[in-house]
Amino acid sequence: MLDTVSAGSAQKTAQLGWTGVVRFLHLAPRAFLPMRAAETITLVAGKGIEGDRYMIGNEEGFYSHKPEEGRQVTLFELETLVALKRDAGIELGPEEHRRNVTVEGVPLNHLVGRRFWLGETLLEATRLSVPCRHIEEITGKAIFDPLINRSGLNCKILQGGTVKVGDTVRNAA
Amino acid sequence: MKVRPITTIKTVVTLIEEAGAGIKLFTLADPDRWELPPFKPGAHIDLHLPNGLVRTYSLCNEPADNARYVVAVKREADGRGGSRALHDEVAIGDVIGVSLPRGGLDPGAGIARHVFIAGGIGVTPFMSMARHLSRTGDADFVLHLVVREEMPLAAHLAPLIDAGRVVVHCTSRTGRPDLAALIGEGGADTLVACCGPEGMTEAFEQAIAAWPAANVHIERFIAPPPVIDPDAKPFTLSLARSGAEIQVRAGQTMLAALQEGGVDIATSCCGGICGACKVGWIEGEPVHRDRILSPYERERYLMVCVAGSDAERLVLDL
Ligand code: FES
Repeated sequence: MLDTVSAGSAQKTAQLGWTGVVRFLHLAPRAFLPMRAAETITLVAGKGIEGDRYMIGNEEGFYSHKPEEGRQVTLFELETLVALKRDAGIELGPEEHRRNVTVEGVPLNHLVGRRFWLGETLLEATRLSVPCRHIEEITGKAIFDPLINRSGLNCKILQGGTVKVGDTVRNAA
Repeated sequence: MKVRPITTIKTVVTLIEEAGAGIKLFTLADPDRWELPPFKPGAHIDLHLPNGLVRTYSLCNEPADNARYVVAVKREADGRGGSRALHDEVAIGDVIGVSLPRGGLDPGAGIARHVFIAGGIGVTPFMSMARHLSRTGDADFVLHLVVREEMPLAAHLAPLIDAGRVVVHCTSRTGRPDLAALIGEGGADTLVACCGPEGMTEAFEQAIAAWPAANVHIERFIAPPPVIDPDAKPFTLSLARSGAEIQVRAGQTMLAALQEGGVDIATSCCGGICGACKVGWIEGEPVHRDRILSPYERERYLMVCVAGSDAERLVLDL
């Protein structure tokens, strides 16, 4: 019952124009390196973010042996950072979750399989991210468990372009 | 070509300096000079040397100096080969993989006064702390450096000696200092730390026998490997299809052992929740620890990123 209800409302949220905002942008050129904040990033269709570790052809992320078509750009909900602080007392910064785009007002968990606009770029959500055990080593914070099921969204880039902090995120119907 | 998962931070050697007393300083940086993963003052890293050796060294730069790792290495002619490889074979521009930094002192631990006791090259972790503390002014400190004759890293220590923060004790002239006297009276806000040869560490342990553990820090030359489970035992993996035998060290994950043995395993979470690293098992007593397999699946599969073994041998379907 609960499942049908939430699946129904998920569909509604996804269809009835929600809009969200890009709050932070981050990238790192290689595995383990701290993420650097950026005001704008450049998305290349079918490849990834310029200068980022998961750019196809430049895989230096932890999974270099498995370039993944569906992980060209990753998103994370600002609301999760707020909830972590409220529920678990964990202060996690947007540069620490290791996803590229921190958004507010975007129901990421409902978007798998859907297309949406991130600024002027068009993305297709491929699957939910799983947290990575190494994030605890890197940040020194016990966040693996609290991040299960809310560790962000992996996306493919269908249409590239520039994404800026403050850009609108909206459904592509 | 088979590409391996990346398990180390990629750095290049950007500077090699002679620092006296058979010591060279190696500066490691990201190829694009990106910031490196952060560390605490006095932390150490593993260097994965080009010849396959893995060696642990203390960082001697301070955390705010965040785009490089600087290690001081004394050439030990009779050592196990790590320092010789670094001194004799490594050149500027070489790529060296390093681990994430571990250990070090928590700067915010309510300590107002530090007394550091270093023997020879054991001064390196305290250089990191001394630089950090003198820049931030967070806490008072004095570093007693005990050397036989020649001072290690003299040029780098000179400003601290001039400032009266480092006191050098030369044993060839004044004999061995009385560590208890150097340490003096303790208090809850005092932290004493020692890094030096075994004899010095033992004398230090005697001198601080009555101190609470929280106020004492001993840095060993050979840092113990990070222990995941204190009760962990080593075991052997037999790979049924390839016929290979792979040793899993106490506390090591099966995944790490398999990767070291050249077996390529897909992974994602490395924490037993995603299912990427599922492998069949045939014989043995696996300890599962994952949060994804059903009891039925556990009869045939395990997740190599978290599973262990209760028996000495575990046969995998690999
Ligand atoms: S890598 Fe995710 S379960 Fe092992």
